[in-house]
Amino acid sequence: MILRRASLRYFLRHPWQAMLSVLGVAIGVAVVAAVDLANESARRAFVLSIESLSGPVTHQIVGGPNGVPETLYRTLRIEAGARAAMPVLEGHAAAPQHGRRSLRIVGVDPFAGNVAGPYLPTAQSGIDLRRLLVEPATGLLARATAQRLGLALQDRLHLEIRGAPVTLTVVGLLDPDNETTRQALADTLIVDIATAQELLGAQGRLSRIDLIVPEGTAGASLLERIRAVLPSGVELVPAQTRAASMTEMTRAFQLNLNALSLLALIVGAFLIYNTMTFSVVQRRPLIGTLRTLGVTRREVFALVLGEALLIGAAGTALGLGLGLVLADGLLGLVTRTIDDLYFNLTVSKLTIAPASLAKSLVLGLGATVLAALAPAREATHAPPVTVLSRSSVETQAHRRRPWLAGAGAAAMLLGAALLLIPSKALPLSYAGLFAIIIGFALLTPAVTVVLMRVLRPVMGALFGILGRMAARGVVVSLSRTGVAVAALAVAIATTIGMAVMIGSFRATVAHWLDQYMHADIYVSALESTPVNASLDRALVERLATTPGVAAVTTGRYVTIESADGFTELNALSLGPRTHEAFAFKEGDPATLWSELQQEDTVIVSEPYAYHHGLRVGDTVSLRTDRGQRPFRVVGVFYHYGTSQGVVMMDRATYDRYWDDPRIGSLGIYAEPAMQVEALVEALRQRAAGFAPVNIRSNRTLHATSLAIFDRTFAITSVLRALVMLVAFIGILSALMAIQLERARELAVLRANGLTPRQLWGLVSTETGLMGAVAGVLAIPQGLVLALALIFVVNLRSFGWTMQVVVDPMVMVQGLLLAVTAALLAGLYPALRMTRTPPALALRSE
Amino acid sequence: MNPDHPLIELRNITKTYREGDRERTVFRDLNLQIRRGEFVVLLGRSGSGKSTLLNLISGIDLPTAGEIRVDGRSVTALSEHERTLFRRRHVGFIFQFFNLVPTLTVEENLLLPLELSGGYDAAQRRRALELLEQVGLADRAQSFPDRLSGGEQQRVAVARALVHRPALLLADEPTGNLDAETGSQVLHLLERLGRETGMTLVMVTHSEEGAALGDRILTIRDGHLAERPAIRAAQA
Repeated sequence: MILRRASLRYFLRHPWQAMLSVLGVAIGVAVVAAVDLANESARRAFVLSIESLSGPVTHQIVGGPNGVPETLYRTLRIEAGARAAMPVLEGHAAAPQHGRRSLRIVGVDPFAGNVAGPYLPTAQSGIDLRRLLVEPATGLLARATAQRLGLALQDRLHLEIRGAPVTLTVVGLLDPDNETTRQALADTLIVDIATAQELLGAQGRLSRIDLIVPEGTAGASLLERIRAVLPSGVELVPAQTRAASMTEMTRAFQLNLNALSLLALIVGAFLIYNTMTFSVVQRRPLIGTLRTLGVTRREVFALVLGEALLIGAAGTALGLGLGLVLADGLLGLVTRTIDDLYFNLTVSKLTIAPASLAKSLVLGLGATVLAALAPAREATHAPPVTVLSRSSVETQAHRRRPWLAGAGAAAMLLGAALLLIPSKALPLSYAGLFAIIIGFALLTPAVTVVLMRVLRPVMGALFGILGRMAARGVVVSLSRTGVAVAALAVAIATTIGMAVMIGSFRATVAHWLDQYMHADIYVSALESTPVNASLDRALVERLATTPGVAAVTTGRYVTIESADGFTELNALSLGPRTHEAFAFKEGDPATLWSELQQEDTVIVSEPYAYHHGLRVGDTVSLRTDRGQRPFRVVGVFYHYGTSQGVVMMDRATYDRYWDDPRIGSLGIYAEPAMQVEALVEALRQRAAGFAPVNIRSNRTLHATSLAIFDRTFAITSVLRALVMLVAFIGILSALMAIQLERARELAVLRANGLTPRQLWGLVSTETGLMGAVAGVLAIPQGLVLALALIFVVNLRSFGWTMQVVVDPMVMVQGLLLAVTAALLAGLYPALRMTRTPPALALRSE
Repeated sequence: MNPDHPLIELRNITKTYREGDRERTVFRDLNLQIRRGEFVVLLGRSGSGKSTLLNLISGIDLPTAGEIRVDGRSVTALSEHERTLFRRRHVGFIFQFFNLVPTLTVEENLLLPLELSGGYDAAQRRRALELLEQVGLADRAQSFPDRLSGGEQQRVAVARALVHRPALLLADEPTGNLDAETGSQVLHLLERLGRETGMTLVMVTHSEEGAALGDRILTIRDGHLAERPAIRAAQA
């Protein structure tokens, strides 16, 4: 009890030391908690919306490029006896007049009863559902959505569908009785199925048919009957598998964010380590006295660990609070990335998942305990003797240096070994990555000593004896400076590593876009529902015959849904010009184009091959309108458009297996003499009078694609900045500690005539040197991180190969950042040292 | 506990240290017996091994060879943990640099050894305060050590060393950091309280005045102990 009081008072006497540690841990925990909460919110919102919207639905019938024919619905009810069935058509519209980018349109059968789940109001709501059926252009909104759009009952809702204006009347406001449904119905307009077909231009088509199939033998025989009437090209899937396969898509993305957030905590752990080490070093004589008085090693260990836990607990508690605030900010970034890369996602508010908070709590306290283990053990080794000179502590730090360096090399080898294990498991890759980071950190003291040895004569030549002193000063208090430098180096290395990885990725994508987007102009349908995205045949004809057009290729991009998930399929009209757009990882370009024109062959993108374990010669099984068919893979091509991957086939092959003559997009090649912008203008004029389409020049589309790329990495810059902040606090804390310890030494210098300005120069030179060492160390460390991210993490997450592009400016910036951060952190401690009257410092011993 | 047995017994103690590449021998085949209640003064030059001897007796350090018995127990046979427990129950320490815990008040510093030995009751706390009164610092119970003069700090240290009634009190140059007058006060306080409680006192000192208070005077020279007649006995 009295001992605890003594340790508590120690930290009360050095409040900044404890406070900076608490802050460091708090930010680390906050980042981890925020990322986890944001991820979890996005995931939950998505799963809940699927679950809530599917409601009691147990199975769904899904189709291919054409969706599901409407006639199947009747067949199901009459021939298969599936009474609990509802046709659904989904699409989307823009609502610019109401300030909304996108509104989901769901067409349902107003009298489907139970199957409609949350889409339709209960009988008690007083909403007359007949109006949906009887009156054209009518719809229902959730009350909250209506309020957001500024609408009341009977108001007119102005939409834009495929570029054309449409007006509907709101004839009912839904009041979901729970938050889940409320979230799921956000930004959703519910209309009658016939209205939906008309609005979305998908007459006779459905997105899917929802079913309730009872359990047991009755259900089994119903499923049997349903399967018997299903035409080829549609499939019966259990409702849950949809949600599962969609969340699976975003898993790697979210895991990568989690891992990046852990880095902030690791740097925070350095801070705890530094604080506890310093407190132990400073109290070594005291601990020695306590040991003489009969305090056992175990008690000393428990005491130090207890102190660390107290700091860790305070930091973690604060971090959880900060995390909630930060999560709110990150949620938007996470949602936008998922929206850009994977699927439409609306998350209206942060879900506070207790599991996320618990995870962060355990990580925060766990990191604290781990970081404090070494200092606590160190404390138990304080010999129970009466006096102990400070220098002997540093002697020990120096004696341990080769061991630390050895352990560092071992950790790096272990990390490299983990990275080289051929496994798709991402946690394994990250374990390897973190081992390498720890390895670098352990090597830091040794490298610092070597660098300072090299720099000392240089500093001496430049700044005289004070310069030599500064270089020596960094080495003299190595037990403190070493950790601070290591923490800063890890943070800078993270910045460099991420920057090189993102830069490489961007350069690869840009290069790929240059090659892949081979046509001069792209025309695409403005789609309102995946079921109907297509260009008018007459328009295609008209555009192709525009003067100045040299050649046209066509594309049809469809998603085939099955129980195994989603497959993106692109059917291309192939020609010599298309060939140049592809670069192959596997397969012989000399022969594969002719092979691709033979029957039943495809080429697959690199991520698709990676996720499905495919190589040239293997087969892909796809559900066609003629049933399930195998297609032989004749090539694996580079493609960075989607991380799930894409299957590409010749248009002729597609036409043989799918009853879908539509064209989704055009690639237009201009005559050599033709100005592309002028041709775009000409094409736009020729398209007038048709349903609006997108006509964009190669350059515009290129820029848009890269803008989306940059947007998806916005969240990483936020996280990197936070890691830097923790490192900054780390170096500030270390410098404050050193200042406290060296007060007497510096006072002696002052007493001997060193001016405050010279003292300030000395201290700043030292901090600048520390920053420089961190920066120099961070460069190789950052490059290793980048290589691991590019060749292991990214490959395993997404299956992409990237070329490594190292911009030397990134290194220079890293170095400057390190020196600036260190100098800034040194400002206040230096100021305090210069302001302390030497007499006071001399007396304080 | 047999009052006729020596409280401390050193049998053929050898102690060597490694200094860089060479080995330094502090003691070789040292033998010593100290009886219960004796006041022994240790003299010797700096670096002769006086403090090492105190560390060996208290179990802080272990001899390279030989056996040390305190109150019939072989300290050298105990584990590190057992030696620590032994120390906190049976040994009081006084240092040259006082070594009070700076973040504890005077009273808390005094209570610390009691708490370490398993806690204290009201009577023990009263005794602690009485001790404080005996060293003349009853009014400073709530002060922190940095508010006390050197002499006052050492008086607190004396009280702390005695508070749990150890059988053995070890003092390592207790006046080394004090002026002559204050040092003299502390020495007499130490002697008086030590003799009142009947404990065995082993004190390392350089001061003539300190040496004069001892029942026995031992001098360490070249790793051997020499006994010279106590000044007190000579004066008698």
